[in-house]
Amino acid sequence: MKYLEKSITEIHEALLNKTVTSEQLIKESLEKSHEIQKKYNAFVTILDNAKPTEVTNELISGIPFGVKDNYSTKNVLSTGSSNTLKDYIPFFTATSIDNLFKKGAVMVNKTVLDEFGMGGTGTTGHTGIVKNPWNPLHMCAGSSAGSACAVATGVYPYATGSDTGDSIRKPAAYCGIVGYKPTYGMISRYGLFPFASSLDHCGVLTRNVEDAAIVVNTMKGKDKNDMTSWDSSGVDLTKTLKNDVTGLKLAYIKELCDIKKYKNADATLKEHLENFQRTLKICKELGMEVEEVSVDEKLLNSIASTYVVISCAEATSNMSNLTGIIFGPREEGKNYVEMIKNYRTKNFSPLIKRRFIIGSYVLQKENKDRYFFNAQRIRRLLVDEWKKIFESFDAVILPVGTGPAPLLEGSKDQIDNSTKALEEHLQVGNFGGFPSITIPNGFINNLPVGVNITGNCYEDEKVLNIAYQLESKMNYKNQIAKENN
Amino acid sequence: MSKFTKEMVEDYADKLLIGLTEEESQMVLNEFDVIDQSIDVINQIPNIDLVEPMSFCLDDLEVDLREDEIEESISIEELLQNCDETSDREVEVIKVVG
Repeated sequence: MKYLEKSITEIHEALLNKTVTSEQLIKESLEKSHEIQKKYNAFVTILDNAKPTEVTNELISGIPFGVKDNYSTKNVLSTGSSNTLKDYIPFFTATSIDNLFKKGAVMVNKTVLDEFGMGGTGTTGHTGIVKNPWNPLHMCAGSSAGSACAVATGVYPYATGSDTGDSIRKPAAYCGIVGYKPTYGMISRYGLFPFASSLDHCGVLTRNVEDAAIVVNTMKGKDKNDMTSWDSSGVDLTKTLKNDVTGLKLAYIKELCDIKKYKNADATLKEHLENFQRTLKICKELGMEVEEVSVDEKLLNSIASTYVVISCAEATSNMSNLTGIIFGPREEGKNYVEMIKNYRTKNFSPLIKRRFIIGSYVLQKENKDRYFFNAQRIRRLLVDEWKKIFESFDAVILPVGTGPAPLLEGSKDQIDNSTKALEEHLQVGNFGGFPSITIPNGFINNLPVGVNITGNCYEDEKVLNIAYQLESKMNYKNQIAKENN
Repeated sequence: MSKFTKEMVEDYADKLLIGLTEEESQMVLNEFDVIDQSIDVINQIPNIDLVEPMSFCLDDLEVDLREDEIEESISIEELLQNCDETSDREVEVIKVVG
């Protein structure tokens, strides 16, 4: 097994024992980056001049990692996978990435995302489509597509992601790895290109739960540059991973998981939900109590719309600084308004423009209460519903999406009213800022699928503990993607 | 018949200083009724107007006022590095006032 296919702790031990050096790891990671780029197009930038760091007692020291290209990295191109920032080189580094640098982590590449994170397919980045490493005819999902692809193929043990709807947790499932976003504000968002600030979370993609805990332990912390970050200095996410989970209570939602609810269910969905039931059985074998709960279907069916309205509305405001005047490729015009309009017209892709138009529509004076404020009201009802579950249960466990990664061909990043609540329920984790982790739980049609565990705010340790124990009873820990077809 | 027109869609885009090609405008127009119906689901929840809108995840956010201390900031030269047209230490823009 190659070193970079091992866990962070194993690589760290090898570095301490001097069976491998930081320099060798970086060389191996860069070579692999070029190989993966040719096959799956996962990167915006590969940093061929990455330098080794001193190996210290810090677990991540000397070890290469990847950064999603919507994190600002000083003196390194940071595009958000958008033509609007195709030449943007930040003059500062995002706090969470700086926290990793301070402990000796080595950035070796910047990974492709859906333009500014506004997509769920990994197909809308300005450098092209990211392909799924288990089968390149399929998508990785998004928006953290490149990070998921690179971690799944063993380029390094971890890459950062960001998650506004399910952008870490869905690609993790489609690529057969772990995706974790902690409680809102545990990791500073300073330096993360904002999409929808009230929903944006930083997080990580790894191949096992312990690595996710190790990395977020380093990324997190109160930051004077992000007033929504909070002090988690007393929290060690690795400490309680191995605790006994006997007696912990998990809930799953009948309206999402009962195959009888889906009149036109195909064989894949059936298999996905059966596989989920097998995972619940493992939870019970671990000593946890698992119960079915009910949530109003009308409320569940409004998750996707609530997300669309809030995220598109917030995005219109966040992207207003993209003018091409102080940064970004400047466009000509008779006056400054025309310059800005030409820049935005030329450089935003059609799909992101559509989302902006939705945002503009729901914020019109005559629509604002009916759409924007009502979406915020539904957000509260959904969060209250989940919090009510957390009063009696330690976490909610649900399948990720409706099955494995869809085919790229024919996939559209379009918003329509046929979207199932099952496909989009992870967005509730963003509405409430809940800690939420996806781990792989099997294969369907030779493609990986995932299960998600979400807990109440500030209960990250419990969520990780459950995920760690469940992972240890399944066979998908530390798996490396191999093309099966 | 659609409740949206090409002019309406272009106006929503124009308010954000975004122009649409014929193709883009048609794509959005074709989908807009479906999008509208889809997001209208949120208006079907009974007594929704009685609920307080939620604009932030956490209900216990504590914001500390920072001390009024002068801190080192990034140099103007550095800030201007991403700007395509500069003049000395300033961003150059097209003449605004006649």
